[in-house]
Amino acid sequence: MIAGVPTEFTPPGPESFNTTPIIDGVDWFTKPVLVAALSVVVIVWFFWGASRKAAVVPSKLQFAGELGYNFVRNSIARDAIGSQDYMRFVPYLTGLFFFILLNNVAASIPLIQFPTFSHIGWAYVAAIMSWVIYNAVGIKKKGLWGYFKHQTMPAGVPGWLMPLMIPIEFISNILVRPVSLSLRLFANMFAGHILLLVFVLGGEYMVFESGSIALGGVGIITFLMGLAIAALELFVQCIQAYIFVVLTAQYIGSAIADEH
Amino acid sequence: MSEHKDPKPSPPNSGDGWRVLSYLIGGVLLYGGIGFGLDRLFGTQFLVLVGIVLGAGLTILLLNYRYGSRS
Repeated sequence: MIAGVPTEFTPPGPESFNTTPIIDGVDWFTKPVLVAALSVVVIVWFFWGASRKAAVVPSKLQFAGELGYNFVRNSIARDAIGSQDYMRFVPYLTGLFFFILLNNVAASIPLIQFPTFSHIGWAYVAAIMSWVIYNAVGIKKKGLWGYFKHQTMPAGVPGWLMPLMIPIEFISNILVRPVSLSLRLFANMFAGHILLLVFVLGGEYMVFESGSIALGGVGIITFLMGLAIAALELFVQCIQAYIFVVLTAQYIGSAIADEH
Repeated sequence: MSEHKDPKPSPPNSGDGWRVLSYLIGGVLLYGGIGFGLDRLFGTQFLVLVGIVLGAGLTILLLNYRYGSRS
């Protein structure tokens, strides 16, 4: 069965995410920076083009732009924040949604194929930004003490349980939220990308380098599975952008909500 | 921006599951952490377990108060 000389297979690992500078000497300019910059250019081009010649009868581009904007505005911002205050958060939420969406989907675009948020620093910054905003608007509306009371005093809990409940509320509302926000995004992007690498590199190895016909057959199946995984990943990438923005909107909504 | 007045705003619950998760993590982390600290202090081994179970129980109770009675 063995036709050629088998070579050692090195599985992909965390080191697959090590990026080298694109231009020698410019250390900070790596692939995620390039992808993020490209995504900003595309987003600005898209929305500028969509709104530049806004007309009552929209062009195709304007229609697409309004579709995306209305989705964030109505389905995310207004539902989570309420029709009183939501408009002033729509710009941030729209920008955040399309930035995360494009950078996630970049993992599925040929030649780019790198999810920016698989480098955890990007996810941290996105989560810290949302954390600062929802705390700041809450403090601005209720004052420092009033905001902390609002975030840590659960409604309807009997008084003798309060001392036990307040720390839980504080930890989960102030400390766990940004961590879970960033880790969810990072882990999904990291795991999805590494899963694809395993299937594609493994299939490639089995078909072309293992030198075994039986393994070659399995390798073809592996490739096909990789295609299915790629489709699943496209779905996950969109869902993760959506859930990040929905949760940000909900945190803002609950920070400025009136007492229940 | 009032051309789109909602007759009845829909309840914001599409992310409730994720928020519940962060409560559960927070509760277990907090009381498990306290149990761990007391274990260190007294040289015992079981308080971390008591803390984790207590934290999970209290969090479920809290979630019941917070989300249970929502109509």
